[in-house]
Amino acid sequence: MKRILAATAVTLVAISATACGSDDDSDSGGKTKVVFSYWGSDARQKLTESAIATFEGKNPTIDVEGDFSDWDSYYEKLATKTAAGDAPDVMSIEIRGLAEYAGRATLADLTGKVNTADLDQDVLKAGQVDGKQYAIPTGVNAFPMIVNRATVEKAGQKVPDDTAWTWDEYISIAQKVTEKNDGKVWGTEYNENPAFLQLFAAQRGEQFYKDDKIGMSEQTVKDWWILLQKIISTKAGPSAAQMLETGTNVDQALLATNASAFGSWWSNQLTTLSKGSGQELDLLRMPKAEGATTAGMFLQPAMYYTISSKTEKADAAQKFVDFLVNDPEAGAILLSDRGLPTNPKVVAAIKDKLTPADQKVLTFIDSIRSELSPIAIPPKGSMEMEDILKRATDSVLFDKATADDAAKAFLTEANAALTK
Amino acid sequence: MTLSPAPAGTTEVPVTPPEKAGASHLGRLKGSRSRSQAWAAYLFLAPWFIGLFAITIGPMIASLYLSFTDYSLLSEAHWVGLDNYEKMFVQDDRFMTSLKVTTTYVVVSVPLQLAFALGLALVLDRGLRGLSFYRSIFYLPSLLGGSVAISILWRKIFGVDGIVNSFLGLFGYEGHGWVTSPDTALWTLIILHVWTFGAPMVIFLAGLRQIPQSLYEAASVDGAGRWRNFRSITLPLLTPIIFFNLVLEVIKSFQSFTQSFIVSGGNGGPVDSTLFYTLYLYIKGFKNYEMGYAAGMAWVLLLIIAALTGVNFLMSRFWVFYGDEK
Repeated sequence: MKRILAATAVTLVAISATACGSDDDSDSGGKTKVVFSYWGSDARQKLTESAIATFEGKNPTIDVEGDFSDWDSYYEKLATKTAAGDAPDVMSIEIRGLAEYAGRATLADLTGKVNTADLDQDVLKAGQVDGKQYAIPTGVNAFPMIVNRATVEKAGQKVPDDTAWTWDEYISIAQKVTEKNDGKVWGTEYNENPAFLQLFAAQRGEQFYKDDKIGMSEQTVKDWWILLQKIISTKAGPSAAQMLETGTNVDQALLATNASAFGSWWSNQLTTLSKGSGQELDLLRMPKAEGATTAGMFLQPAMYYTISSKTEKADAAQKFVDFLVNDPEAGAILLSDRGLPTNPKVVAAIKDKLTPADQKVLTFIDSIRSELSPIAIPPKGSMEMEDILKRATDSVLFDKATADDAAKAFLTEANAALTK
Repeated sequence: MTLSPAPAGTTEVPVTPPEKAGASHLGRLKGSRSRSQAWAAYLFLAPWFIGLFAITIGPMIASLYLSFTDYSLLSEAHWVGLDNYEKMFVQDDRFMTSLKVTTTYVVVSVPLQLAFALGLALVLDRGLRGLSFYRSIFYLPSLLGGSVAISILWRKIFGVDGIVNSFLGLFGYEGHGWVTSPDTALWTLIILHVWTFGAPMVIFLAGLRQIPQSLYEAASVDGAGRWRNFRSITLPLLTPIIFFNLVLEVIKSFQSFTQSFIVSGGNGGPVDSTLFYTLYLYIKGFKNYEMGYAAGMAWVLLLIIAALTGVNFLMSRFWVFYGDEK
């Protein structure tokens, strides 16, 4: 019996010892340990691990530990860790989380701490909250209309000049594609992404967010729904139910399966779309509203690198972020995975290594550079916006509410979320 | 009442240990020896106690406290009194929607599921050949039903290009997105729940085995038919089991989460038609960072389930037959 007791006691001690042991992450063999959290695909994990290895080769005293998770659980994990006072030293976040995290004093001000001299200054501004540089953009994306030229031309249509085309033209071409293919291939897929509405509003000179509130009029939101309804009713695109089923996963995009001629996705998704489709896909400016002077195109940081305000290893963390955004060697590994880099030195170094699709994105972004709308950082509370907009939009598309009621409800609910 | 059916023909296992070992052992169980044995017992129980306090009771008390605060995960908690509870019942339309959706789900799917389970149990109880095979087959969905894989499969089955539509297409019915239409989405989840009838079915089977055969024999002497047998013997004697299953399933289905989380893509859509209570709780806590509010919702859920179970027990007096009553 005694032996059993002793064994049990030893086991318990051993268990608690290992449990404590994992907390001790201050240094490993005299090295400074920096935890870097990010989300994404397996491919991104491989790229990131290889970038980390290169960094560690250059900085032998720093040990970077990648803390990887999938997108769905990323913010939960991050919020829980932050709440427990165990925030990663370097955190990836995206634009909707920026105001939330910066506003709650969880992020360190990086002004003058990380070299940002070479970065695109307009894009850099999209990492500032209340004048402080809380976040460094990893790279940029545009939200263009992506077209499968072959599908359009097979239906006897021409891809029009994207500097001048209108929503009506877009719908009528899409409608003809559907007709020619007996509904087996759709003219266009569509989505409820706030980026789409943001563009649509910008064409009317309105901003999605203004002074920490919704800056769009009720009419604009309604007209956007009318546009979506028209796509459905003319059969330019599939029904709302079918679109919902396709989901927001880029691998299952109708464009990626050659089941549609048009569709809007973030520009860094072009590579995946092209790979899925196996055909040439091109980027176009969004169609314009009749008489609009701008297509409302904007660039948005794909994500940001931020540093925890609680970190005790600020120096090492800053060095790591600096490496990721400024070092051509890091750029050569990461390429466009986190959006197209905005550091011209990095871009020059990686240009030849980019996939054909990414080269197209690079050319496209250069071509729209002169006509961009400013980047708007969503205010605190905007994490919910996508869901709120989706709910309101679905209620209209599924005939559960009139556009009038839904628009009012959307504005009330959205503004309430922002003032919380 | 034992729930596991004892295979016919097995002999009872003797409760008392064999003579020899027992006598010598008991004689020495005295004094310091027994005290040290008590310690050993506590030591072996310790993992459970630690678990109970650290993982169950501690967090419960913490969550009760948090439900009176505006805790947001990212910032400190401030005391707000009953604000969260007031908001729930006065302002929050989605809270009410989630209650409505969950109640519909429970009220429709639980009776359907139990009826289905009882029906199959009656069929299987007829001394079918290969009974254990069928039992396992029918039990399988219960093991799988709450899983992510099945939820994804469900999406496919009821999709626009899914097999349900392919089948209906044979009759010229045009495709319908069952999972993605607000009018039908909840019903696909209800069907999913009914499909997991295996667990109550196994319990019913056990219950059927306990009904004395002699009652049926006596009834057949009196000329009772099959329906009469079922109405007057099977059903009354089975009511304690039905009650047990009912209580269990109501509690379980009120807490359903995975199905709606996966099938709706995590937002309870389309248009909140599958917004289960627990899903909304999760959205509030982990997506909108309103942890205090979510904690309040968890306590309301506990009260709702407690109340429903209480009502169930009260009602049981009127319809559950325990055999020893007049």
